[in-house]
Amino acid sequence: MTEHRSYPQIRTGCPTRRALLWSLLGVFALGGRAARAHSAPAFRILIHPDNPLSSVSQEFVTDVFLKRVTRWHDGEQAHPVDQRGDAEVRKSFAERVLRRSVSAVKRYWQQRIFSGRDLPPPELDDDDDVVGFVLKHRGAIGYVSGSAKLGRAKAVSLQ
Amino acid sequence: MGAQRNSLLVSSNAFRRLHPWQWTRSLACAAGLLAAPVPASAGDATDGTSPLPIEIHAFVSQGFIKSTSNDYLAENSTHGSFEFSEVGINFSKQLTDRMRVGIQLFTHDLGPLGNYRTRFDWFYLDYRFWDWLGLRVGRTKLPFGLYNETNDIDAARVPVLLPQSVYPVSNRDFLLAQTGGEVYGIVPLAHAGSLEYRLYGGAIFYDTADATSTLSNVRGPYIFGARLMWQTPVEGLQLGGSAQRLRLDGEAIFAPAQIAQLQMAGQLPSDFSGPLKFRIPATLGVASIEYSAHNLLLASEYSRWWVSLSSAVPSFSVPQTVSERFYLMSAYHVTPWFTPGVYYSVLFGNVDDRKGHDPAYGSVPGTPPLGRGAYQHDLALTLRYDLNSFWLLKLESHYMHGTAALNPALNDNHPTSSLTQDWGVFLVKTTAYF
Repeated sequence: MTEHRSYPQIRTGCPTRRALLWSLLGVFALGGRAARAHSAPAFRILIHPDNPLSSVSQEFVTDVFLKRVTRWHDGEQAHPVDQRGDAEVRKSFAERVLRRSVSAVKRYWQQRIFSGRDLPPPELDDDDDVVGFVLKHRGAIGYVSGSAKLGRAKAVSLQ
Repeated sequence: MGAQRNSLLVSSNAFRRLHPWQWTRSLACAAGLLAAPVPASAGDATDGTSPLPIEIHAFVSQGFIKSTSNDYLAENSTHGSFEFSEVGINFSKQLTDRMRVGIQLFTHDLGPLGNYRTRFDWFYLDYRFWDWLGLRVGRTKLPFGLYNETNDIDAARVPVLLPQSVYPVSNRDFLLAQTGGEVYGIVPLAHAGSLEYRLYGGAIFYDTADATSTLSNVRGPYIFGARLMWQTPVEGLQLGGSAQRLRLDGEAIFAPAQIAQLQMAGQLPSDFSGPLKFRIPATLGVASIEYSAHNLLLASEYSRWWVSLSSAVPSFSVPQTVSERFYLMSAYHVTPWFTPGVYYSVLFGNVDDRKGHDPAYGSVPGTPPLGRGAYQHDLALTLRYDLNSFWLLKLESHYMHGTAALNPALNDNHPTSSLTQDWGVFLVKTTAYF
């Protein structure tokens, strides 16, 4: 048994067993990656602690950040807040939630700005600034990196 | 430059050779239309703690245009022209949760247009009652098609020139903005996406300084229209349609010698002393589809314009002509700093004569058929480089087949049927913005 677990045995064993072992290794590797991802998601969505919601839909978040929707369901004015254009967390958020690249989102706002249609959400420097903004405005919604300290801000799940 | 503008409709023959849709374009040129905002990105003037800051954005663009033959957009483009500049600055402020004001100053130069005279590009007071109902008053951009509002916002698109069949830069003042009001909103449709509507009405005002010695008192007494866009449940896919109705009024001025010549030819009444008042009613419609998600953009639009020309003199009136316009466009963000794009655009000046078998309406007997002047196919390739977050560079080339969109006034008043059929255009443009 011992020799079967040795590395040379894996390389020289029968093809079926070798494939099985490599598959197991692969599963462990993927599992490890998944576990790491679970422990530190790419981003978390934050709202003010007085906001009663515990989850938000991807469509709603998209509409709020593109300002197609300006109010929460209870009528409160929504105040989305972005991060810097070169922030890794913004890239993850844009691609995962807005389904666009950061540059596509920027072009969307250039169209809105210079046609006089609307203004983009403010861009803050880092996670701490976003947390501060969210705590200051009851209708705020922002996102921070998975490892950020949230303080009293409420993290909500994305449906 | 002034001479070229003045030459737009000096010749009565040239006057009559124009289709109504060409009239529209020529009038735009002649009126010296100016107006057009341009690019810049979202610099943010916020301190990061207030959601209600004053925002200031601006842009500066400089372009270069070179055509292999036929002067296009600018005089002497065959020799290369730098008459392709735009500068703008805007100020916007969210006064309350529901109310916003904004203003943009703009100046540009594009061949005979602009000449660096500064004007208000847009200004508005916007009150959003609910997401499904908002009201804007002032001078506002016309929501016609997918990109009319951003026709002159270089940073907001990949190509230097949007497909000129649907978004001709020479028609900016007819298509870009109106002074009046607009009602707008987004209506959620549950699992079917959402519906965005825009309804507007007002008038088109021209700067009197844009008048020429051949045209005067050009004005648009009314314009109204609507756009409906369906944001489908498929993220990034939208479909829609736009329509607008407008009328342009003005006066054509003839030199005494021309009046005498036309009177002798029986084309003007013997007691005519000028000027000749005219009206150009027009109806424009466009159907649109766009898919914009992740790094890919696909868009296509089909448009028809119904235009006629009426005046007190029958020989200077043209019945309604229907032009046809279409394009297919694509762009892909290969990297954050590099985006190539391509489009194919086609314009037919008259759907009843797409190949130009007939001479233009009202031509004197013996005039050759319109031929290549009846259509224009445009295959464009663009390379956009975002050098950093406030500076970009674009390179663009066009292969053109046909001359329908060319301005005779830029080509020594040669009719479009006599200009070079197959030609190319190269453009370089750089824009700084914040």
